[in-house]
Amino acid sequence: MSNFTSYRGPWACVVAIVIGLCPIAVYAGQPTGRVDFARDVRPILSDKCFHCHGPDAEERKAKLRFDTKEGAFRDLGGYAAFVAGKPDESEAIYRITTKDAEDLMPPVKSGKKLTEAEIETVRRWVAQGAEWEDHWAFVTPTRPELPPVKDPEWANNAIDRFIEARLETEGLKPQPEADKATLIRRVTLDLTGLPPTIEEVDAFLADQRPDAYEKLVDRLLDSPRFGEHMSRYWLDAARYADTNGYQYDKERTQWAWRDWVINAYNTNMPFDQFTIEQLAGDLLPDATPAQRLATAFNRNHPITIEGGVIDEEYRTEYVIDRVVTTSTVWLGLTMLCSRCHDHKFDPISQKEFYQLFAFFNQVPERGNNGFDPRMKAPLVLQDDNADELKKRIAAAEKAYDARLADLQPEIEKWSATAQQESTWSVVRPTDVISEGGATMTILEDGSALAGGKNPAKEVYEVELHTKANDIRAIRLEALTHDSLPFNSPSRGTNGNWVLSEFTMAAQPADGSGKPTPVKFTAARADYSQNNFEIAKAIDGNQGTGWAVDGNVNRVNRTAVFVTDKPVGGDGETVLRVTMRFNYGLSHQIGRFRLSVSPDAGADFGDAIGEILATPEPKRTDEQRRRLRDYYVAQHAPADLRRMRAEIATLHKQLESASAGGPSTMVMVDKPGIRKTHVLYRGQYDQPREEVEAGTPAVFPPMPTGAPRNRLGLAQWIVDRSNPLTARVIVNRDWQRYFGTGIVKTTEDFGSQSSPPSHPELLDWLAVEFMESGWNVKALQKLIVTSAAYRQSSRVTPTLLERDPDNRLISRGPRHRLDAEMIRDEALFVSGLMIERLGGPSVYPYHPKGLWLEINNRPGYSRAYPQQTDPQQLFRRSLYTYWKRTVPPPSMATFDAPEREFCVVKRSSTNTPLQAFVLLHDPQFVEAARQLAERVMTQGGATFDDRITYAFRLVTARKPSAAERDVLAAELDRRLKQYRADRPAAEKLLNVGVSPRDARLDVVEHAAWTAVARLLLNLSETITKG
Amino acid sequence: MDPITESHLINTRRQFFANAGRFGLGATALSTLLNPLAAATKTSHGAPKSDLMSGLPDVPHFAPKAKRVIYLFQSGAPSQMDIFDYKPALEKLNGTDLPDSVRGGQRLTGMTAGQKRLVVTKSFANFAQHGQSGQWISDLMPNHAKVADDICVIKTMFTEAINHDPAITFFQTGHQQPGRPCFGSWASYGLGSENKDLPAFVVLLDKNTDPQAQPLYARLWGSGFLPSNHQGVKFRASGDPVLYLQDPTGDGDTDRRAMLDSLGRLNELRRGEVGDPEIETRIAAYEMAYRMQMSVPELIDLSDEPEETFELYGPDAKVPGTHAANCLLARRLAERDVRFIQIYHRGWDHHSNLPGRHPGIAKEVDQGSSALIQDLKRRGLLEDTLVIWGGEFGRTVYAQGNFENGKWGRDHHPRCFSMYLAGAGVKAGHSYGQTDDFCYNIPDRDTQGVHVHDLNATLLHLLGINHERLTYKFQGRDYRLTDVHGHVVQGVLA
Repeated sequence: MSNFTSYRGPWACVVAIVIGLCPIAVYAGQPTGRVDFARDVRPILSDKCFHCHGPDAEERKAKLRFDTKEGAFRDLGGYAAFVAGKPDESEAIYRITTKDAEDLMPPVKSGKKLTEAEIETVRRWVAQGAEWEDHWAFVTPTRPELPPVKDPEWANNAIDRFIEARLETEGLKPQPEADKATLIRRVTLDLTGLPPTIEEVDAFLADQRPDAYEKLVDRLLDSPRFGEHMSRYWLDAARYADTNGYQYDKERTQWAWRDWVINAYNTNMPFDQFTIEQLAGDLLPDATPAQRLATAFNRNHPITIEGGVIDEEYRTEYVIDRVVTTSTVWLGLTMLCSRCHDHKFDPISQKEFYQLFAFFNQVPERGNNGFDPRMKAPLVLQDDNADELKKRIAAAEKAYDARLADLQPEIEKWSATAQQESTWSVVRPTDVISEGGATMTILEDGSALAGGKNPAKEVYEVELHTKANDIRAIRLEALTHDSLPFNSPSRGTNGNWVLSEFTMAAQPADGSGKPTPVKFTAARADYSQNNFEIAKAIDGNQGTGWAVDGNVNRVNRTAVFVTDKPVGGDGETVLRVTMRFNYGLSHQIGRFRLSVSPDAGADFGDAIGEILATPEPKRTDEQRRRLRDYYVAQHAPADLRRMRAEIATLHKQLESASAGGPSTMVMVDKPGIRKTHVLYRGQYDQPREEVEAGTPAVFPPMPTGAPRNRLGLAQWIVDRSNPLTARVIVNRDWQRYFGTGIVKTTEDFGSQSSPPSHPELLDWLAVEFMESGWNVKALQKLIVTSAAYRQSSRVTPTLLERDPDNRLISRGPRHRLDAEMIRDEALFVSGLMIERLGGPSVYPYHPKGLWLEINNRPGYSRAYPQQTDPQQLFRRSLYTYWKRTVPPPSMATFDAPEREFCVVKRSSTNTPLQAFVLLHDPQFVEAARQLAERVMTQGGATFDDRITYAFRLVTARKPSAAERDVLAAELDRRLKQYRADRPAAEKLLNVGVSPRDARLDVVEHAAWTAVARLLLNLSETITKG
Repeated sequence: MDPITESHLINTRRQFFANAGRFGLGATALSTLLNPLAAATKTSHGAPKSDLMSGLPDVPHFAPKAKRVIYLFQSGAPSQMDIFDYKPALEKLNGTDLPDSVRGGQRLTGMTAGQKRLVVTKSFANFAQHGQSGQWISDLMPNHAKVADDICVIKTMFTEAINHDPAITFFQTGHQQPGRPCFGSWASYGLGSENKDLPAFVVLLDKNTDPQAQPLYARLWGSGFLPSNHQGVKFRASGDPVLYLQDPTGDGDTDRRAMLDSLGRLNELRRGEVGDPEIETRIAAYEMAYRMQMSVPELIDLSDEPEETFELYGPDAKVPGTHAANCLLARRLAERDVRFIQIYHRGWDHHSNLPGRHPGIAKEVDQGSSALIQDLKRRGLLEDTLVIWGGEFGRTVYAQGNFENGKWGRDHHPRCFSMYLAGAGVKAGHSYGQTDDFCYNIPDRDTQGVHVHDLNATLLHLLGINHERLTYKFQGRDYRLTDVHGHVVQGVLA
């Protein structure tokens, strides 16, 4: 029997049910003892009742609400839903227990149902006096007392007191501290995203000082890698990408903002300032360019260019995205629920949603092609500062010279044996035509000099007559001349050139045959710019070519093209050489000379030959430099070539540094106020009541004097009284270290959130964070120096049963590394990684065809620009070009999001496709080859030394005897296999563009590469333990 | 391995599975093990199949008609009044202005909003009735005449979006903006896998040849807020059929087996040391990867198909990335019990010269689509396979561009369009719903209209799923494919 007549009636709205979300035993209320309303009861009411008896006034049934105290205990005319201490008189208890299907709540139709345990929990709460608390997360946190513990010795800091107290309640004990090798790997991965080096591990193992660990943490927090690593998480939250998303998904340039974030973390910008500048840097008095750039945060949302869309529809979506993203990132609020109606669970009305909307609704922007407003971004990383660059160039050149000096004996050894007689004959052109209209002069030495008109693009047609009848090689010399810009060999604006294509046809001079195209099978140059290798001058592709960093080094350069068979007959032969320069900006050679040789292996000839023929003491500095360049290009170890590439890149950066950053989308408020209305059902074309900017009433008001704009909103978000921000942020940090937040639902702190595992700890951390002046590095240090964090992560079946997800922190954290960390680790341990802070996004290896396969519309699509430049291939994954509609596949496979919307928690899965990436992605195979090379050259001579070295590189620890045996057997097997099948070994060593140390035995190198692949595939390698 | 270590390992392993069964693993491990890919691998350890293959414990909610889905998505939007929705009244109306009363304030795209006249334009195609059912099909799709009695054409589809990106996103995820899981991911999440060597959700893209075609996006087979192992796995027409499937060095199977054994042993040793059950899952994932390396090449190798197959599907079936080849591949995937097979074919978006271009794209898909239905039927697979054919919206009855010169096109039209279903639980040889004479509105929209959410509710129903009960809690809310809408369309059910 019931009094709630008005309660009945159809369950009007369709609600989905919750499947199988049984609370884990350790977190439910104890079967006896005191029920905690916030932890045990409110979540039940929220999930099972609020939908119809909650904040949404429109959907509310029987005018009854359980989300407020007044509502729950209201006198309904002689009876009430809840009567404190009297479950039998509480109508709600009757309703959830009755057998009468008419009266039963939640209604059968809703699909929702209270479990026996839940019913019992509610009953006991009423019986115990029905003490009411407002939702914990909406109440400003205060600093709780540290709880008493039995063994206060264990605690390193306050965190541990809370952890220990809870463990004691559960009858559990913390684990002993992890061993030092495990610990340094864990904390180095957590603070820098990269594993420790062997030297770092050794130093830590040897450091017996009591504060050795703290010193280690300080070193890691000071590393610029810290900022890179922290930024990566922020990029997911900020839905940062290098393309616009939607339909054609073309490029945008927001990376200057990404660099701003890295810099902010590295300079330990207080989090309140970090917040204010990103939300409203433009509105700060005397805003600096960097502060305005920071606001790009809220322009990172996707933008459409689809023809036919309605501007206002998409402009509205962008503003909504800002509300939703800002709410999720800072407040842990699921604001999107209030777009169409009052929130079902949290006390946020639809009107309040549009009051927040009003803050972000002031940008002078449009929906279609809505890229403005933009600014020319400052480049905040000091890396791009010219003075700094000059210093770095000087340092890099010094290191390069020093390395070269080390190699001097080898260079001399080589030059002693490399001497050879020149087989080249210069052929003086009989005619040179410039299609671009330049005046061509043949000089005395047989070279051709261009003058007069200097077109942007150029084609030279050169006619040569030669009697040579067995030509196997053509030599092209680009020669400096004082009539050319910068006394370079080029007519280019900066001294460089790009030879797009070099082709030749041969024909008997007597006219007895037709011109036959000559096929070149190889090309060599004494110098090639990265990504502009000489081979690109004969690849048949007019879009690629040979360049020489001529803007940096304006000196003579030589290229040799090898023919597939001897050219030339009995009589005279006419050679017609065509040189195409398609790059533009007059990137063409200004003076050149051509020679022929019967020797397919002919060296660069005269110049190098002459130098080689000159005894060392008599060589000029210029000759020594040329010889050195030649040696480096042809014979030097990989590291040296990499150093040289780095120097060239730095020079280029220096050139562009003064040019400033790219055009970047930022926030700007338009003059006057754009009116904001409640949008009926969230539809752009259904404006209703007009609203003003404001914050939800359930929270403390905006600080006194705060302006009613984004700046005021930002100040409100980081105000000491805001109950959410600090909790939400410390919780996300906790999630980074322990895999799960103290509040598991990182994205939702509202009524439907999961109750915190350690509510007092969360509040203590939040208060500590705010009172430290929002000190981000101090917060990280606090967490990683806790005894809780430093526990061993070993787990027993019993413990696994008691605390399956380690929510109690009954052991140290253990979980799989994120996508970026897995790739970065492979690059790092193999020595491939090129570390450089910031700059434009880069293009690492990528399977062919992925971009065009989903979009091949001319003018709106392009192929992935495959690269061979180490500067593009081997940077940290943070810098990988992120295309939203085709996210980098190896990242996506390891759970990286598409970045089309804000993500604060990635999934963590374990699939065969991940095995494929680690086994077959060429990047990992190449990393294994380089790791093997490192092991063989630096790991010692014996197997044991080498395998220990290798194992420590990837796991920081030494292998056990059993592990060693497995690896020894693997190496033996592989040695046998590759000895019998040398081509297989060569194939394995051929994967990847990085050069191989040719001094290493092919079979042995391949076998060690196979072992290294095994190591990179270990579960332990991709796990933080 | 020495016997003592071995027995220790076996014990930990046994304990692990005992725990997994009795108590349940942690949330992370649990979600991992429910992953249809990795879950399937558990069979190698002898666990019962029923535990592993079903995604969620209570799904399906009732006996399903369809065990698997083949979704032939026609991206760009086919013109309904030129293929399935025969409108004889247009003969008379041809050349007249679309009355405002018919348009009823319908929003136009930016492409025709500026056009002075909206001229009603009859179909350029010829219609005839086919089969015992008398299904109307135009001569653009001659091969479909053969399956007229197998398909159920829904003529009263309607949607909310009018531009490609939001419309196709809406179709696949139930929401116009990015962020929600797609249909295939929901199916994978709810139903799991029935094949231990292949993923539950496979995506086949066409090799698009139309330079003006609309692009596709990863989100269309993305898992949104669902665990990312439910995202669709693309089988590609060129290069590795599955990304990174093949070793770049051509390492043979014997070597790989030995390598995986070493890897497994090292991982087991570590598992014994640290006790982390996740390591078991990883070992299982590598084992499944190993099997996939064999099962995928075997799947795409058509050499075991008799010549008669290619007669049925047409010569295109031998050219990877064509619709015919994808349809044949879909049949092979269906034979292997892959749960959800999503095909995309692009090139229907003809804003100009539709009479010149629509026949071409229709020809690209006609034989393959219809052959698939016939092939499934004769193999007995159509009984429990659901085939879906259609695009993201319809096209306008009025011409876009110059009505006079025959080079006109048709703009986007959300208010009515045609799709068809075939197979498991679907009323065969049926035409559902009626549009008005202008093929512009659905006169009885309340009773006959099939909203995208209704379609999705119906498709889920055929899979044994109550669309209101397949939910995932995210941001405090129980999300579902049909949002808070959708009704099962009883009229299309057999």
